[in-house]
Amino acid sequence: MLLEVRDLHVEFHTRDGVARAVNGVSYAVEAGETLAVLGESGSGKSVTAQAVMGILDMPPGRITAGEVLFEGRDLLKLKEEERRKVRGAEMAMIFQDALSSLNPVLTVGDQLGEMFTVHRGMSRKDARAKAVELMDRVRIPAARERVRQYPHQFSGGMRQRIMIAMAMALEPKLIIADEPTTALDVTVQAQVMELLAELQREFRMGLILITHDLGVVADVADKIAVMYAGRIVESAPVHDIYKAPAHPYTRGLLDSIPRLDQKGRELYAIKGLPPNLTRIPPGCAFHPRCPMAQEVCRTDVPPLYDVTESDAERGSACHFWRECLHG
Amino acid sequence: MAEPILEVRGLVKHYPLTRGILFKRQIGAVKAVDGVDFHLDRGETLGIVGESGCGKSTVAKMLVHLERPTAGEIRYKGEDITRLSGKALKAVRRNIQMVFQDPYTSLNPRMTVGDIIGEAYDIHPEVAPKGERRKRVQHLLDVVGLNPEYINRYPHQFSGGQRQRIGIARGLALRPEIIVADEPVSALDVSVQAQVINLLARLQDEFDLSYIFIAHDLSIVRHISDRVGVMYLGRIVETGRDAEIYDHPTHPYTQALLSAVPVPDPEAREHRERIMLTGDVPSPTDIPSGCRFRTRCWKARERCALEVPALAVPEEFRDTSGPAAHDSACHFAETLPMWRSAPGRAVPPEEGGEHGSGPE
Repeated sequence: MLLEVRDLHVEFHTRDGVARAVNGVSYAVEAGETLAVLGESGSGKSVTAQAVMGILDMPPGRITAGEVLFEGRDLLKLKEEERRKVRGAEMAMIFQDALSSLNPVLTVGDQLGEMFTVHRGMSRKDARAKAVELMDRVRIPAARERVRQYPHQFSGGMRQRIMIAMAMALEPKLIIADEPTTALDVTVQAQVMELLAELQREFRMGLILITHDLGVVADVADKIAVMYAGRIVESAPVHDIYKAPAHPYTRGLLDSIPRLDQKGRELYAIKGLPPNLTRIPPGCAFHPRCPMAQEVCRTDVPPLYDVTESDAERGSACHFWRECLHG
Repeated sequence: MAEPILEVRGLVKHYPLTRGILFKRQIGAVKAVDGVDFHLDRGETLGIVGESGCGKSTVAKMLVHLERPTAGEIRYKGEDITRLSGKALKAVRRNIQMVFQDPYTSLNPRMTVGDIIGEAYDIHPEVAPKGERRKRVQHLLDVVGLNPEYINRYPHQFSGGQRQRIGIARGLALRPEIIVADEPVSALDVSVQAQVINLLARLQDEFDLSYIFIAHDLSIVRHISDRVGVMYLGRIVETGRDAEIYDHPTHPYTQALLSAVPVPDPEAREHRERIMLTGDVPSPTDIPSGCRFRTRCWKARERCALEVPALAVPEEFRDTSGPAAHDSACHFAETLPMWRSAPGRAVPPEEGGEHGSGPE
């Protein structure tokens, strides 16, 4: 197993109290595999990724429990110095907003080249040549000239390609992409996702794709983990989950997508709002919004039940997963 | 047919680019909107889709008089409102209201919800007499699904979806006939988007509203719209009824846009055909000659660089009555076979009059 997150807990100390952002998340990714982590804002999907990357702001954040095993090694036990060697070289991250993730006063060539001067001890000249090569690989036209340009001289799609190039620079084994195409237009989004998928195939990288877009997930993921209020509420191979969700939250999300045959009719809408993380409801965190909620949901936190039916592993954190799956 | 409630003809918005401080010389222009025509019938929803920078938001701002057009007409019930001022303008503005994209920045954080919604009555006191305003605002809160007791709260005490409801209540306060909604749900969480879309649909029936619904999410636009216009670089390149656009697009840009939308169905992954556009949208300061899409179009030929294609029913479909016979600004408009078989897009089998040919 390339990466295994086990029972991770993260909390933030805020003025309103302790916000429990991640409450026991476990997931795993193998080489060459794409795991989509799906969730709304505040579901904990990005915080989990930041903890894995080791870029969580601490304080106010605090990892209270759990393990992040990368090729069997618990990253949380490493010293910052050792951690830094892993970051960039072994695993890399692509952020949503490329413009604010790039340094505006350095040329893209300098920023790409930095990966090689810092991590590989290359000379500036060699690093520059590597930067051009990388820009070619992510299909930025006229790389030789554009390597001298600054981030603001690139379009949104091109900037995201530079981010991908930077993440790919040291050929890491794992890439975490946090909403990589959310800020892009659809036609550009399609280009960028295809590039990412292609590079992943070529280098057999593990990919964790963090998104709220059910369409993007269906396009590229092998398996999905659906997060709600800091927990994984459903995990399954991508085909199974779209065919028959085993958690009412997943079902609600799928049902609220406008469909052709429902035009003019009311859309299904999950009632209410996602919970405040300083006051997560007792029992199942989704129960106040759940159409299937019973008394037990108010009191008992559902574990991630094993709901495997065929050979692929599935889990659902719903007391009534059977009814959900078959009803 | 009755007169449209809103009609736009040749609408243009150019922002001048100048050089020099004392003696400003115009050295060019950002052609944000460059000749847009459409109409809106009473009770109808017109969806406008397009990518960022296509000018859709500038059109919205001109409709509500937040921007003055460089040229063209906006006719409200037959009367050109672009050159109105003073009292006459005020009266028209009351009837065309806007709902903004970002519910976080479009509500004044120092005003209570009651003041935000009720402010409209200070400008148009004829709509509600002073003593009645508070009640009116409470009623509006109730209409948009918020607790009327929240009238004294401030925007930061609400979630994104609730704030958008406040923005909608403000838009409704003057009982307008037309609502221009610019990306009203794109800042909201997925599970909350459906709630707001349902609210907009219900209000349309309840108050007999006409909507201009601007968005980049194609599936939401289809759900709510009767007709759709697709914009590219300041112009509408294709327009028609929703099924005509989504199931029988004839403009290559629309085809590429639709094929790029991720479909929430993993089964569709294998047998999906995608048209990948190359490159980026050209700068609106330097619009290509002829057809403005030609620099990214796989069908572009010499004619496309020379002649601007008109937004009209393409010649080959002119004598037919099928769904392909709708306005499309392309010299080589055609339907593509992929739309007849693509999963997730329920396309009725071969309809009479349609004779598109495949891509070359």
